[in-house]
Amino acid sequence: MAQHGGRKSTKRKQVDEEEHPQDLPRNGALEMLTDEEDAGDASSDDGQVDKFPEIVAESDSDNSELGEESDGGDGEEEDEEEESDDDTESDDSLHVFPQAKVVISDITKQLKTVYPEIEPDYDSDSSTEDPPNRVGNIPMHWYDDLPHVGYDMNGKQVLRSARGDELDKFLATVDDSSAWTSAFDKNTQSDKPLTPEELDLIRRLYAGENPDATYDPYEPTVEWFTGEGKQEIMPLSGALQPKRRWVPSKWERQKIMKIVRAIRHGRILPSKTKSTSKFEPYAIWSEPSSSQPPPLPAPKPRLPTNAESYNPPEEYLPTEEERKAWEEQDPEDRERDYLPQKFPSLRLVPAYDQFMKERFNRQLDLYLAPRVQRVKLNIDPNSLIPKLPSPNSLKPFPNYRSLQVHHSGNRVRCVSVSPDGAWVISGDEAGVVSLWEINVGREVKRWKFEGKIGALGWCPRTDVNYFAVGIEDAISFIIPPNVDASVLSLTQSVLAPTTLPPPATTPSPVKWVTPPSSSWSLETPIVTIHLPSTSGTASNFSWHRRGDYLASVSTGGSVWIHQVTRRHSQAPFKKIKGAVQAVLFHPLKPHFFVATQQYVRIYNLSEQKLVKTLLPGIRWISSMDVHPSGDHLIVGGYDRKLCWFDLELSDKPYKVLRYHSRAIRSLQFHPTYPLFASSSDDGSIQVFHSRIYSDLMTDPLIVPLKILRGHYVVDGLGVLQVKWCGKHPWLVSSGADGSVAVWCS
Amino acid sequence: MGRLKVKGKAGAAKNYTTRSAAVKKLQCSLADFRRLCILKGIFPREPRNKKKANKGSSAPTSFYYTKDIAYLAHEPILKKLREHKAFAKKISRALGRGEWDSAKSLEENKPHYRLDHIIKERYPTFIDAVRDIDDALCMVFLFSSLPSTSRLPPELVENFFLSIKGVYYQAEVMDQPVTWLVPYQFTQNVPSDVDIRVMLTFLELYQTLLSFVFFKLYSDTGLVYPPPLDAIKDEGGAGINAFSLQDSSRTAPAQQVKTVSVDGRQVSVKDIRQTIKAISVNSGADTPDVEMPETQEDQPEAEEEFVVHQSSTNTGNNASLPTLQTLSALPQTLTTNLFAPYTFFLSRETSRPIFEFVIRSFGGRIGWPASSGAGSPFDESDPRVTHVIIDRPVVAKEETPAQRELRLLRKFVQPQWVIDCINAGKVLIEEPYLQGKTLPPHISPFGEYEGAYNPINAIDAKDTADVLEQATDSEEDEAMEGDDAVAVAVANVDPAALRAAELAAEAAGVDYGTFEAKVKDATKKQGKKASATEDDAEGDMNKMMMSNKQKKLYEKMKYSQRKKEAERTTLEDRKKELVKQRRKKTTS
Repeated sequence: MAQHGGRKSTKRKQVDEEEHPQDLPRNGALEMLTDEEDAGDASSDDGQVDKFPEIVAESDSDNSELGEESDGGDGEEEDEEEESDDDTESDDSLHVFPQAKVVISDITKQLKTVYPEIEPDYDSDSSTEDPPNRVGNIPMHWYDDLPHVGYDMNGKQVLRSARGDELDKFLATVDDSSAWTSAFDKNTQSDKPLTPEELDLIRRLYAGENPDATYDPYEPTVEWFTGEGKQEIMPLSGALQPKRRWVPSKWERQKIMKIVRAIRHGRILPSKTKSTSKFEPYAIWSEPSSSQPPPLPAPKPRLPTNAESYNPPEEYLPTEEERKAWEEQDPEDRERDYLPQKFPSLRLVPAYDQFMKERFNRQLDLYLAPRVQRVKLNIDPNSLIPKLPSPNSLKPFPNYRSLQVHHSGNRVRCVSVSPDGAWVISGDEAGVVSLWEINVGREVKRWKFEGKIGALGWCPRTDVNYFAVGIEDAISFIIPPNVDASVLSLTQSVLAPTTLPPPATTPSPVKWVTPPSSSWSLETPIVTIHLPSTSGTASNFSWHRRGDYLASVSTGGSVWIHQVTRRHSQAPFKKIKGAVQAVLFHPLKPHFFVATQQYVRIYNLSEQKLVKTLLPGIRWISSMDVHPSGDHLIVGGYDRKLCWFDLELSDKPYKVLRYHSRAIRSLQFHPTYPLFASSSDDGSIQVFHSRIYSDLMTDPLIVPLKILRGHYVVDGLGVLQVKWCGKHPWLVSSGADGSVAVWCS
Repeated sequence: MGRLKVKGKAGAAKNYTTRSAAVKKLQCSLADFRRLCILKGIFPREPRNKKKANKGSSAPTSFYYTKDIAYLAHEPILKKLREHKAFAKKISRALGRGEWDSAKSLEENKPHYRLDHIIKERYPTFIDAVRDIDDALCMVFLFSSLPSTSRLPPELVENFFLSIKGVYYQAEVMDQPVTWLVPYQFTQNVPSDVDIRVMLTFLELYQTLLSFVFFKLYSDTGLVYPPPLDAIKDEGGAGINAFSLQDSSRTAPAQQVKTVSVDGRQVSVKDIRQTIKAISVNSGADTPDVEMPETQEDQPEAEEEFVVHQSSTNTGNNASLPTLQTLSALPQTLTTNLFAPYTFFLSRETSRPIFEFVIRSFGGRIGWPASSGAGSPFDESDPRVTHVIIDRPVVAKEETPAQRELRLLRKFVQPQWVIDCINAGKVLIEEPYLQGKTLPPHISPFGEYEGAYNPINAIDAKDTADVLEQATDSEEDEAMEGDDAVAVAVANVDPAALRAAELAAEAAGVDYGTFEAKVKDATKKQGKKASATEDDAEGDMNKMMMSNKQKKLYEKMKYSQRKKEAERTTLEDRKKELVKQRRKKTTS
C-alpha cells in the first residue's frame, strides 16, 4: 500500500489518509475493496474536473495521469489479488488453533498475549485428532490428479484425506446444523464453516448490493477545491509563461493571408452563387455546328381535315349506326380519334376532353415507338400488272367446248388421243373404255373390263395402231377396230409375233400373256402384261417416242419399263427414294424423268446414272410434262403450284405460277403448237401460250390465254386429265363428273 | 477455311441492345433512362430479325442501337442525374434528422443540368429547330391554363382552323411550315392514365428549345429577349400588353440586364417555369410595327397562368428603326393588309386572345370591353368601329337613337367570318355570317388527300347538276323500260329476240327509225361493255404472271384505293340525299 500511495498526487494522499484508519482492522480478504474504492474516488475526481472546464490544460494532464494511474492500478490489483489470496491462506491456517489475544496487563500495564484456557476435558486433547496437513502454502491444484496433496516437513507425501461418500455427506448435513454454511477447503482438505463476514458478503452479492458493508452511497459532497477553506491561493508552478501565450502566431497569420489573397484574386468566392434552374438563352446557332448530319426529324402529326371542323358540312356528321360502331370499337382500333360534331356557333364549343391524352400519346410515339423509314410507292397499281401480248394475237387456241361425251356418271380418270388425232379413248373407274371419234363424238367401240381403268396410252407409232390400257395391276394392249389391213397385220406381228423372242436370262416377276391366235377378237386384248400383284393399279403411262418402250407407274410406286418387241419388262431402279408419281421419256435424249413426291430426278438410261435432281418446291407433285424440244419441263402439284423448269439453267424453277384455286391434276404441252394446258380440281382448265425462243438469251414467253370452264366438281374432284390433239389446237379433257369434253379453237 | 465465326459477336447481336441491358450499362434507373431518351431524342429501333438481335430469344423487348447507348453513356446530363440522386439522398437524410441548416445549404447547391448542348446537338441549324417546334408549341400551350394566341410575323401566318379540339394555326417560319394546336379557353384536366412525369420532361426540353428559337427570332429583328414585363398592366389583365418591347440597339446593356433580372425575380416568385412565346410584327397602316412577345408561366398544377401582353407605351418610340428593318427583311404580301381598312370590336363572349392575334396579324385595329382585359385602345362607342365580332343570338331590345345610329353604321358578324376571310385570302361578303344567321360550313384550309371528297365543289356546281340529272333520270326510268328489252336482245345477239323486241316496240307505238337508232345505240354500248370486260379479263389473267411480292403490293394498293373510293362515295351520296331533302322541304 505504501508503494501504491507514493505514486498518488497530494489530493489522493488525503483520501488515503482518511480511509486508512477504517481499513486497518480489516482482514486481508477485503483489502482489494479499498483499492476499488480508490478507483471510485478517482472517477469522482473525474466528474469534478468535468464540471470545471475552465482549467482545460490541467484537467487534461490530470486526466492523462489518471488514465495511467488506473492502468497501473489494474496491474496492482492483480498482484494484490494473489497477495490477498496468500494472506487468507495463512490466516485460515492460523485459525485452526484458538486465537491469542493481546491485552494490557492489569498488573504490569504492559501488553501481553493471553491464550484461551485449555479445558482439560476429553475434547481438549488434540492428539487423537487427525493432524492438519502441513504441506505449506502451495496451489493445491498441482495435486489434483495425484493421490497425495503435498509433502510434509520430512519430505514424506501427505496423502489425501479420505472423503466420505454421498451418504456420509448427507449424514453430516443432517447432524450438523451449520453444514450448509460451510465449504470445502482444499488446503486443509476439510469442510470449514464460513465466517459471518463472508456470509454477509455473500448475502450482499446475492442481493445485488455493494459488497462493501461500509460503503455509503449517500455521503455528503465535499468541495475539495472551492469548499470552505479549501480554495487554492498559490499557483502550483512558478514557471514563466511561454511566449506563445501572448505573441500573435506568425503561422496563423500566414495562413490567413493566403486565404485573404485567394479571396481578393477571386479564387475563393466568399459565398457561392446559388445555382438556379433559370438560364438565359443565347445565340446558340451563331457559331457553326458540327459537320454531323442532324438526326431525322420526327414525323409530323396529320393535319386536320374537314371532319374535325367545329362546323363541318353536314354530310360529314356520322349516322346513328356509324356512331354506335365507333363507340363500340376499341380506342386503338378507331380510324379517327374523334366523332365529327356540328356546333351552331363558336361560343358553344366545349373543351376537348381528350386533349391531354392525345398529347401524351404523341409523346409516347416520339420516345417509345420504333421508327422505320418506309418508301411509299406512288404508282398506279395497274402498272404492276405485266404487259403481255393480247390472247387475240396468239390464236389459235381452244376457247369453246365443241362436244361432250358422257360416261354414265363414273369418274373418267384417263383419256388418250390417237397419234393421227382422229380418235379418242377414255376410261372410267367402272372399267369401261370407250373409243370415239373426235369430230362428232360418235362412240365406235366400248370395252368393259373388270376393275378400274387407271391409265391409257396410245402407241405413238404410225405404222402400227394399238393402245395400252392399265386395268388394276395388268396392262393390256388392244387393237382398235376398223384398222387398215396392212396396219393390222403389222400390229399383230409386232404384238404377238409367231416366233416369240427368247425369254430373258434373268427371270422376271412380270408375265406377258398372249391368247392363242384363234381366240383373237376385237373384244379382248391381244397382249396382257401382269405386273406383280402387290404393285397396285397402273396409274401413269409414258411411251417412248419410237413406240417400242412403255414406262408405267403403279400406285404402289413401282416403275416398269416394258419393251414390246422383246416382250420383256424390267424395273429400272432397284430402290427408289420416295413414292414415284410420274415418269417421262425425254423426247430426244436417252433420259428418263422420275417425279417423286417432292423431287424430279433425271436419269441417263444409257449410262445408267443420275443426271440432275430438280427441286420444284412443291409438297406433292401430281403431274409433269416435258416440252417437245426437251429443254423445258413443267411440273404441277397438289398444292396448286405450277413450276416451269429451264433444264439448261438451274435445278430451281424459272417461274412458279399459282393461279388454280385447287390442286393441279394434269398438265400437257402441245406437241406442235406453242401451247400448254393445266387442269385442276376447281373444275377449270387453263390454257397458256408458251413460246420458246431458239435464242438462248431470251426467256420463254408465257401468256395465259383462256380459262375453260364446263366440268363440274364432284366430291372435290374436277378435271382429272387433259390431252392435246396432236394435229390441231384442240384439247380433250376428262372430268370427275363422268364427262369427256373436246375444246376447239 | 476461313475463321470460325463466334455467335453473338458481330452483326445484329452487337448492333442492338435491349432496354434492360441499356439501363444496366448506364447504371441508372429506368425513369432516368426514359428522361435521357426523351431529352436526347433517342428512340427504339426495330431490328430486321428480332431473334438475331436478342441472342436467339423472341421475347417481346424494345431494342436500341448500341451506338446510341454508348453515346448516352457520355452524356453530361447522366452525370448530373447521378449527382441529383446523391443529392436527394443527402437532403432526405438531413430533413429526416431535422438538420434544417444543412438541408438549406444542400438545397442551395442543388445540382442543375442545362439542355443547351442538347439543343445544339439535336438541331445543328436554326432550320432544324424550326422544323421541330410543332409539338413544342402545342405542348407549351397546353400547359398554360388559358388558351392563348401565338404571335408570329403576320406575313408568315397562313392558315387558321377552328376545330372541335381547339384552334389550329399554321405559319411559315424560314420556309418551314409550323402547325400547332391551341385548346380553347378551358382548364384542362389531367387524366389518370397520363404519366405527367413524361410530359414534364418533354416540357422541359421544349421550353429550352423555344427559348432559343425565340431568342433567335427576337434578336434577328433587333429586339430584346425576354421582353420586360409590366407588372401593373399584368395585374390589370392586359394580356400581351404587359410586355414592353425594347430595341436592343438602343437599350443600354446594363439597364437591360437590370430589367430582366427584376422581371425574373417577379416571375420566379410566382412560379417555376417561364417560357417566352413567339413574336409578331403588326404592320398596320397607321400603327407602326410592333413586336408582340408573350411570356408563358407554367405551374405544375392545373392552376397555371399565361400572360401575353403587347406594349402600347413603346409603340411610338421604337417604331422607326424596327419598321425599316423588318420591312426590308420581310417581303410584304397582299394578305397582310387584309383587314387594314377595318376596325373591329370584340364582343365580350368571343375569345380575345384568338381574335386579337388574328386581326392584328392582318392589319386590323381591335378593341375590346373592359371585361375582356385592360388596355383596349378604344371603347365600344368609338365611331371608327366598322365590325363588331359577336357570337350571341339576336335579342330585340330598346335602344337610344345614338345607339341605333351606331348599330346601322357597323356590321355585326360572327367570329367564323374572320377566319374564313383569312383562309380565303380575301374579304368575304358579310351577309351569310351576320349575327344570328346559320353559318356556312367551316372548311379545313389544310386540304385533304388527293381525290378525296371536296365539299366546296359538291356544294357549288356538281351536286345541283347531279340532283337535277337524277330527277330527270327518275322521270325517264319508266320510258326506258322498253329500251331494256332491246338492250337485252342486243346483248344476247339473238335475232329471234331482236325480232320480238321490234314487234314489242311496234306495239308500243315506236316507229321503226327510232327503233333502229336504239338498236344501234344498244349494240354500241354492248360492244363497249364487251371490250371493257375483255380488257378486264385479260388484266385479270395477266395478274397470274405477277410475282408473289408484286401481287401482295398490288392487293394492298387496290385495297386502300377501294377504301378511299368508298369513303368518297358515301359522302357524296349523303350530300345528294341532303340536297334532295332540302329541295323537298322548300317545294313543300
